[in-house]
Amino acid sequence: MSLRLIGRHMLPVLGAGLFLWPVAPALAAGPQHFEKHFPTKGRPVVVIQNIGNGRIEVKSWSNPEVVLTGTQSSSKISIDSEQAGDRIDVSSTLLDTSAQPTEMEANFQLTVPEETELQLKTQTGLILVEQVMGDMTLESVAGDVHLKEVSGYIIVTTKSGSLVCTQCAGKLNFNSISGNAQLLQPQLSNVKLFTTSGNILFDGDFVRTGLYTMQSGRGLVEVRFSTNDSFDLNAQTSTGTVDNRAGDFIKPDSHGLKHFAGKYTKSFFGTIGQGLAKVELSSYSGTIRILRRD
Amino acid sequence: MNDSVESGMGSRMICSDVADVLEQEGLAPLPEAARQHVAECADCQGLLADFGSIVSAAHDLPAEVEPPAHVWISLRAQLEAEGLIREAAPVAVDARTAPASLPWWHGLSGLLQGRALATAAVGLLIMAAGIAQLRRPVNSQTAPPTQAAEQAQTPDPLAASGAALTEQEHVLRSVQPAGTLASSPVDDSLQQNLQTLDAFIADCEHHLKTNPRDQLAREYLADAYQQKAELLSEMLDRGRSVN
Repeated sequence: MSLRLIGRHMLPVLGAGLFLWPVAPALAAGPQHFEKHFPTKGRPVVVIQNIGNGRIEVKSWSNPEVVLTGTQSSSKISIDSEQAGDRIDVSSTLLDTSAQPTEMEANFQLTVPEETELQLKTQTGLILVEQVMGDMTLESVAGDVHLKEVSGYIIVTTKSGSLVCTQCAGKLNFNSISGNAQLLQPQLSNVKLFTTSGNILFDGDFVRTGLYTMQSGRGLVEVRFSTNDSFDLNAQTSTGTVDNRAGDFIKPDSHGLKHFAGKYTKSFFGTIGQGLAKVELSSYSGTIRILRRD
Repeated sequence: MNDSVESGMGSRMICSDVADVLEQEGLAPLPEAARQHVAECADCQGLLADFGSIVSAAHDLPAEVEPPAHVWISLRAQLEAEGLIREAAPVAVDARTAPASLPWWHGLSGLLQGRALATAAVGLLIMAAGIAQLRRPVNSQTAPPTQAAEQAQTPDPLAASGAALTEQEHVLRSVQPAGTLASSPVDDSLQQNLQTLDAFIADCEHHLKTNPRDQLAREYLADAYQQKAELLSEMLDRGRSVN
């Protein structure tokens, strides 16, 4: 290969390299990946405190190990972690107070043993947990929380983030200002849902002897039940409406407790099946809708 | 509750009278008539013990050191002079110099000056309001018109929670530096939720003015107060960490 030929092919490459040289440090300061492995013995407890924005995804496997991977958007935050036995703490820390919101983003992917306790906190960005058995406390300001096939005592707190809980089991406590809550095909025996302006949807079976309280200040509270269900129903609203679309299937409450509708509220009491579970629905000014699923 | 003792607001008191006295004058030495009633009424003794426990628990909370008032005044003057804050905010009233006619729980609002204690203090206020509400005799819904009118005139413990929160919100707005109002999506979300709660609270309060005995509305209002206390606490914490 002649020198002229080499020059013809190499010079454009070298030129491009020189042109991009000043950009290289900026690219290096972009998203940074991290990965850490934590061997566990028993049931681990994993705590993530994300001061910035970003997703937290948790999935399970059968290995006795917690694997943490993720990205951070800049070096203006640091991701710190520590392990003490089966307790694993992960937190993001702000290093530069001049950081813009986009520079404070950290996304986490966790793979944990099936039986793991979780305490996760983020600001915005989705919290996604799938197929984990264990108590979990999940907190977000504006991010949504999606749970699928999880079980345990589940506490979800958001300001405007919404909850979608699919095939969840155990106990669930949800509190939000404007977030919605959707419970799809649940196997939950104890449910407390409260949102000031969000909507609530319960679509699934009521576990016998279960206790269910669903309250929305201004939103819609909708319950879709099956004719095989068995529960006592108490629906109350101050200034809203009770939209009973399943009147034929709801009998008067026959359990001896006399219900008195408050002078200032619109109330509806009834029993489906034997009335084994207890369902309490309320709103301040929203609509309560009761309908049959099948 | 022991409501079998005859006479209403006369020389001998009944449980609701004692509750009213507690709401108006607090745990300070009770009037003779109230003391006589409490001595004979186990329920009221329990109520007093509950309030005592709440106040004791509030005092046992770790207190934040509050700078003298002149520090706030000079700081605010300096910030106003530099144009860093927009408008003057009311300086928190010192409980020791507050007029004696103020309700007893107003002293508790001093606790709210400590940011970290805001949520806990409002929670205690709401709990106290709830206990007071539950301890009221069941037949109070059928109270004679004169007694109902008297009760309507007495200060509502729940309203104290609202007043304390409003005070806390003023503090929040006064410390919001003018130059950092352009904020993140999280701050925007918190502000939107504050507006949502304020609108809901205003709606409930308006409704309760005409339907003061709507227990369900009261519960929603108490929950909204609790959420607002938590929200303000979080906003203050964020402001502190960012600034």
